[in-house]
Amino acid sequence: MRQTYGKQLPGMRLSDLPGKLIVIEGTDGAGRSTQINLLKPWLEELGHAVLDTGMTRSRLAGDGIRRAKERNNLGRVTQSLFYATDFIDRLEKEIVPALRAGFIVLTDRYIYSLMARAIVRGMDPSWIRSIYSVALKPDAVFYLRIGIEQLLPRVVFSRGFDYWESGMDLFPGQDIYEGFCSYQATLLAEFDRLAEEYKFEIVDASADAETVCGYLKKKVLEIVEPVHIQPPAAKLPDTFVESLSEKIFANLTRGNENVKHRAADPFPLTAPTMQVPLLRRNGSAPTT
Amino acid sequence: MGISSSIQIGPYEVFYPLKPSVSSAQRYGQHKLPGRLFVVEGIDGSGKSTQLSLLHKWLEAKGYGVVFSEWNSSPLVKDTTKLGKKKKLLTPATFSLVHATDFADRTEHSILPFLKAGAIVLCDRYIYTAFARDAARGMDGDWVRDLYGFAVKPTAAFYFRVPLETAIGRLVGARDGFKYYEAGLDLGLTIDAEDSFRLFQGRILEEYEKMIPEFGLTVIDATMPVEMQQAQVRQIVQSHLVNAKELRIQP
Repeated sequence: MRQTYGKQLPGMRLSDLPGKLIVIEGTDGAGRSTQINLLKPWLEELGHAVLDTGMTRSRLAGDGIRRAKERNNLGRVTQSLFYATDFIDRLEKEIVPALRAGFIVLTDRYIYSLMARAIVRGMDPSWIRSIYSVALKPDAVFYLRIGIEQLLPRVVFSRGFDYWESGMDLFPGQDIYEGFCSYQATLLAEFDRLAEEYKFEIVDASADAETVCGYLKKKVLEIVEPVHIQPPAAKLPDTFVESLSEKIFANLTRGNENVKHRAADPFPLTAPTMQVPLLRRNGSAPTT
Repeated sequence: MGISSSIQIGPYEVFYPLKPSVSSAQRYGQHKLPGRLFVVEGIDGSGKSTQLSLLHKWLEAKGYGVVFSEWNSSPLVKDTTKLGKKKKLLTPATFSLVHATDFADRTEHSILPFLKAGAIVLCDRYIYTAFARDAARGMDGDWVRDLYGFAVKPTAAFYFRVPLETAIGRLVGARDGFKYYEAGLDLGLTIDAEDSFRLFQGRILEEYEKMIPEFGLTVIDATMPVEMQQAQVRQIVQSHLVNAKELRIQP
């Protein structure tokens, strides 16, 4: 039985949600989307169905938030609640249905980012906690932590400074560099506080993407159910028969260009090598 | 770490929600702003909008600066609400949240700045509408009350109490049918729009009755003649206008 942070939404059944909810959190530029883009195909290759989701991607409120942010007259309470609308729409319409269907849900940010952003904008922490008390407790929260010093070069030499990421709505008197440093430092402090409260798995995100990903993969494997394929060597009469028919097929189609690749590798009818053509035909990678 | 204290929150403090443990009567900040806030509540067909518009004319004629804000009218949020209603995307939770977002925008842009300026702000429907409707849709009452914790407490909140059948009688013929969400058709109580409206608004009436003592709503008997109701409303409003700023505008 899955748990929420306190309250339950009407119509949301918490039983029978066999999927896994994995959260990638971190401040702006910590490499969250890079990691999700690496983890998703890897998990799919291992045989898991994956849903990835993130902020402002809801059908209901995504466009509304983008339009409201362009207008630059989005108040702080309104902003917090608009994001809550976006989150709850995705929770009800994407995350929960995916978990019910046994998916691994990889979410780029979760309630913690939303709480941190609201709190640094002066919202009462108990108010924002109460709103998100209906959220599901995830199976893991990986907090990609990066200091301002390591973050700065990434921002300066890639996408440049962004109005909202520099908290310009909060520090209007400063230039965008100063705003960025003040805002990200404040946000980082709040994240560190939340990390302790919600027991995040802290990941040093200043390392290169592959190192971070290697660590994340190791941790993810501890959570997800492995996809077992029967080892073929021991006793596999079906495989044997299939392999035999494969050989017959190869003989029958010898010389036919369209299927020539099937006959390219000779496979003697001995048990240890029988798995090779089978695995290739299914398009799966051999397990190591 | 105390980081939030390093952020300028300034005037926002007046309406920041208090800890959820306090009773709802205390939860909404009793504002210390120079303006006045009067709100009307009641089911569709209770005549509250008529009464508010009469009050509006009277206050203006007396020379007060009056600002009117209607439920569900934020220019920032209305496209989202419209999309949600048109495509039937709304669940009880997201229905609740888009309306809270709309209300937040109006609080930040149309209500609070005007109260600070000393205006008289009139609201057609207020947080009590959300509490009644969301509870009727099965949302947790405490959750919704927390959600609206940023709201300014009205100077007076008038509840126009009317029996369901009287309200329906007034609406039939005066409207282009019963709308999907207004009739609570999203709840699947019944497929007939009028039956669903009756059931849903009946639940809302029950919620309003519970809120009268909880929030100290001023009950107006909405079966009385229009003039008699307006006289009561003006009497009460007048008692709250002592020392109110008369932002004199051209009559």
